Amino acid sequence: MTPSTASLRAILVTGKGGVGKTTFAAALARSLAGRGLRVLAAELVGSAEADSPLARTLGVSGTVDEPQSVSSDLSFARIVPSAGHLSFLRTALPMKVMADAAMKSSAIRRFLMAAPSLPEMGALYRLLELVEAKHTDGSPRYQTLVVDLPATGHALALAQVPASILDVIPHGPIADAVRRGLGLLYDRSRTAAFVVTLPEMLPVSESLELSRALEKHKIPVRGFVINRMPWDPFDAEQRKSLDRALAAHPNVLGARLFRRSDRAKRAKERLLASGATVLAELDERGDEGTALMDALTAELARVLVGDLAGVS
Amino acid sequence: MNARVPRRSFVAPHLEDRRVIVVCGPGGVGKTTTSAALGLRAAMQGRRVLVLTIDPARRLAEAMGVPANSDEPTRVDPARFAAAGIEVPGELYAWMLDPGTVFDGMVRRLTKDPTKVDEIMKNRLYRHVKNLVAGMQEYTAAEALYSFVESKRFDLVVLDTPPSRNALDFLDAPRRLSSFLDERIVSIFLPKGGGFFRAASQLVESVFARIFGDGFFKELQGFLSAFSGMFDGMREHAVKVRTLLGSDESTFLIVTGMEPEAVSESLFFRAKLRELGVGFAGYILNRSWAYTRGLMPPATLEGLVPAETLAKFVTFGQEEARRAKMDRARLQTLLAQDIGAEALATPNLGGAVEDLAGLALLADELGFHHEDERPSSSHPIVE
Repeated sequence: MTPSTASLRAILVTGKGGVGKTTFAAALARSLAGRGLRVLAAELVGSAEADSPLARTLGVSGTVDEPQSVSSDLSFARIVPSAGHLSFLRTALPMKVMADAAMKSSAIRRFLMAAPSLPEMGALYRLLELVEAKHTDGSPRYQTLVVDLPATGHALALAQVPASILDVIPHGPIADAVRRGLGLLYDRSRTAAFVVTLPEMLPVSESLELSRALEKHKIPVRGFVINRMPWDPFDAEQRKSLDRALAAHPNVLGARLFRRSDRAKRAKERLLASGATVLAELDERGDEGTALMDALTAELARVLVGDLAGVS
Repeated sequence: MNARVPRRSFVAPHLEDRRVIVVCGPGGVGKTTTSAALGLRAAMQGRRVLVLTIDPARRLAEAMGVPANSDEPTRVDPARFAAAGIEVPGELYAWMLDPGTVFDGMVRRLTKDPTKVDEIMKNRLYRHVKNLVAGMQEYTAAEALYSFVESKRFDLVVLDTPPSRNALDFLDAPRRLSSFLDERIVSIFLPKGGGFFRAASQLVESVFARIFGDGFFKELQGFLSAFSGMFDGMREHAVKVRTLLGSDESTFLIVTGMEPEAVSESLFFRAKLRELGVGFAGYILNRSWAYTRGLMPPATLEGLVPAETLAKFVTFGQEEARRAKMDRARLQTLLAQDIGAEALATPNLGGAVEDLAGLALLADELGFHHEDERPSSSHPIVE
């Protein structure tokens, strides 16, 4: 049976660039927190200097590696490879001081950031650490992590990394840490990827490809979220009459939006025809910033309400 | 349509003179399509152009008749241009970057002893590295750029980068690579690293033996030894690419959409370019709604569709007008934050650009200002 969204420990939000992935991740984290779950919204960033759009969307500065509080049930954290490397080294090496010395060595730091797969391994380790973080009473510090993954190519890279590391380094502490990370990533009861897409042909084909590739790497995909679905008040007959009229007068204000809503409908049909599960369809909205965030949060809470019914 | 001669856009001189144009910007704004259109425009001006793309839209590749998996650039068949009614005196090539091919080419060029080539190609770590999608695109984009510019096969290379945050990695890759390949650093990993670096070398060895396991560290040393003869060459390439990107021969374009997130990512990116000290040509605001000139009011359809349908359609017209106003305001906001920057808006051409004819339309929009219709910083949009 598919576990409810609320029982997942890690929700991986992914999709092609520019589809509103970050806004969706922020709204999802907020709507889950609004249901009384302790939620951590996290974003994978490449380096300690990198900017975090998710932090910006949530209205926090996002410049430190330790989780920051956004509201009573919602926190934000950046997932930076170097933080993962440090905590990994602290666990793997017999003395903390050795780990700190290692991270101070520019040779080792450069190696960890420049050698292929190792930055991703650091990010995965940090993710695992945050999922496993506990309060002193043993309860999880965060019940759910909503992770804003990088755009398509890099999300795939991240999915590919653990297994490819194991090919090269099958034994030792790195291999063990990676296996534990995989244990989380592959576990349908704890992890699910949400693929965000726009209702346009190219984004739809790209997200279908992304979803297939994630499944190939054994990462469970829960389904698709169609973002910015244009308003469409016309029935088939009205459409037909508008099509005829616009053929005679193509340069009319409103025609571009009309054709766009038509394309959106076809793109959505294509997604459904491929057998994809559509988790939510979010209306395109004229508002932005805080107003957009509030509206999306409310809509998600409503759309996923059945799914969330199990939460007290 | 008015009969006035269109004025050349700010992009046009770059298409004529530069050897490298790097197209960057946030994801989902049509960078790949814009890069292809820029390449086409330059080829229409008679240049031999390569559009080097990292993540191409499959359908665009199909439209250009270019295979997705190929070992080297494919020329767009002139017959296709002819069929689409486009006059192209130059040549247009496209290539989807394949990290494995770029790596193999680099190994062949840089390995002095040909018997060593086989040894490297068979090395387990090498095969792992070259087949990774992760992170390798950035290294190989820089390396591919170097080899294409060096070979002088093309007058112009248009490089389509991955979405913004990763594109920064691309700019940084040569520096990171050359800093890692610093001989002193590498020597720490090599066996018998001694003398001054002995202490560092011992730390590295003990840390690596513990975390990777002893066997792996030896394998890593073997890999680095096999490669060590190439490091000078790789570093030299990295430095040359950086120099090339910082020189007058190269320029950067930022393609952006009009959503607030896209605009803020673009400004962030602009700051990064400034910091890196590379040339910046200007902004291309893609798929803009800003144009309303020449459009008829929705009421034009009166009598042609039922009243109820028309009433609904009128709201579409109002929404389009609202978007036009908003896009213009955003364009002004962007330019207010980057005083003196060039900008050009390309109109929302309807569907995605999916064929050569669509690409040619976009190419025309990029090359020229159509007076009174097309906005730019020097030609502000007015209602």
